[in-house]
Amino acid sequence: MAVPLTCPQTDPAPALFSVRGLRLSFPDSAHKPLFAPAPRIEVLKGLDLDLPKGQITGIVGESGSGKSTLGRVLVRLMRPDAGQVLLNGQDISTLNEAALRPLRRNLQMIFQDPMSSLNPRHKVWRIVAAPLARYECGSAPQIGLAERRDQALRALERVGLDPGFGERYPHELSGGQRQRVGIARAIALEPEFILADEIVSGLDVSSQAQVLSLLKSLAQEMNLTIAFISHDLSVIRHLCDNVIVLNRGEILENGSVEQVFSAPQSDITRLLLDAIPLPELDDKWFD
Amino acid sequence: MTMSSTLNIQNLTVSLRSGLPLLGQVNLTLEPGEVRALVGESGAGKSMIGKAVLGTLPPAARVSGGQIFLRGQALDRLNAAQRRHCVAQSAALIPQDPLTALNPVRRIAPQITDPLTRIHGWSTERAQARALDLLERVEIRDPARVMRSYPHELSGGMRQRILIAAAFAPSPPLIVADEPTTALDVTVQKQILKLIRELQKEVGTAVLFVTHDMGVVAKISQKVSVLFQGRVMEDATTEAIFTNPTHPYTRALIAATPSYADPSRSFSPVPAELIAQMKSEIAKEEVW
Repeated sequence: MAVPLTCPQTDPAPALFSVRGLRLSFPDSAHKPLFAPAPRIEVLKGLDLDLPKGQITGIVGESGSGKSTLGRVLVRLMRPDAGQVLLNGQDISTLNEAALRPLRRNLQMIFQDPMSSLNPRHKVWRIVAAPLARYECGSAPQIGLAERRDQALRALERVGLDPGFGERYPHELSGGQRQRVGIARAIALEPEFILADEIVSGLDVSSQAQVLSLLKSLAQEMNLTIAFISHDLSVIRHLCDNVIVLNRGEILENGSVEQVFSAPQSDITRLLLDAIPLPELDDKWFD
Repeated sequence: MTMSSTLNIQNLTVSLRSGLPLLGQVNLTLEPGEVRALVGESGAGKSMIGKAVLGTLPPAARVSGGQIFLRGQALDRLNAAQRRHCVAQSAALIPQDPLTALNPVRRIAPQITDPLTRIHGWSTERAQARALDLLERVEIRDPARVMRSYPHELSGGMRQRILIAAAFAPSPPLIVADEPTTALDVTVQKQILKLIRELQKEVGTAVLFVTHDMGVVAKISQKVSVLFQGRVMEDATTEAIFTNPTHPYTRALIAATPSYADPSRSFSPVPAELIAQMKSEIAKEEVW
């Protein structure tokens, strides 16, 4: 695919998500007066951004920059105070749970800690099959257990786990394998969008490389749109098409990885880049 | 073996009660003021070495062979109480998880000063002063207030800095740092690494630094032990590891580490063939 690098304004991919003026605040219960409502802490301060269809967008920032909160608003685990979240042109920011229901199958998540996001009492295939039971699949409403099991095993196969893994329990798997189960569960419903929140930060480098190359090839195969939340710009550089840098609830950078990494606009981005220990000798890194 | 080594591990073997080996024939030395990185994938036995030294192996595991010399003292010749005393006198731990390592129902101050007064026999005033001093060194603002706080009132980065201050407070000859920055984001990680480096130089402490991040290895250590399935695959200076790694596994670990500075280099997992080959070599050794 020839993408004109000289003309950054052209955006060939239409947006899956368009976010406009997104605001969100939490009550600050630590400073609540006795008889008055708690003051609010602004976490997202009016964000405008687009997530292009079929692309991976990295969302990066320090702890407390609002990156996970932004992700949770996109999949409507949180309701914003103000602003619009357009999913394929439809504003989902104020929809109630019943109206969100049919959209949910399109919005899947992979979590940071697979040990706490996989039910320890269920076999792997049941974990992957669980979302299949909650949603009508294609034309057939309410598929039977045997078929759900088959679909779950197919999803496991796509993430490189052979059917034998379906009969295991999460504690019998390594960290990288558990994270693959999380990915299998997310793709089982063939969603359009996946939110991946710090999914490799608990893994060692080799498992990390495996999980990332898997995610990249699945994204291409299934034409997935992915929001990839991370604090590691090295990982984002290799995986993502676009990157958004957040700081204290505001967007500092928003562009293609080539743009942002070749000419970072903000000091914070440079600070984040400098803080990454590269696997090479450098006496002056600490200075 | 030089008598001056802070730590000298010879042919250390740790196995489960079932006989399954966790560490096989591990050799390493740590000189005063030196940082040695223990690097490898999850399950390679990196943390197990630190635990064997500190005597905190899980109940199912035990040292089944080899010797550990801590400042020239052979630990296996001591009884349990003597061993505890010897280790407590000369070593400290910076644990991986700052959220669970502090007692949630005690204030910070006694958690730092207790070891100083009880193990090292300092006066309360001296211990308090040292704790305040070190909290300042780890760049905690208003250390007097933090000393009176409970762990839940502090952020993860602050708690990790407190644990570092507590470990360095008695100026121990040896610190075992078990992935002290894995739970932190990159900017805090850099601060913490810088701190460990400064304090280590100031106090002259030798550090056994457990990590899986080759980037961290390159910045903090002078020596490296590369581990795979409880075996040392390569033992070399950090410079040699990055300029001229001799073992293919070392090269594979470096190749698996992503680098934003070099996007043309596609980072890749450790090849399955290499892992199979190393496993079969280890299996042969075990038969022997």
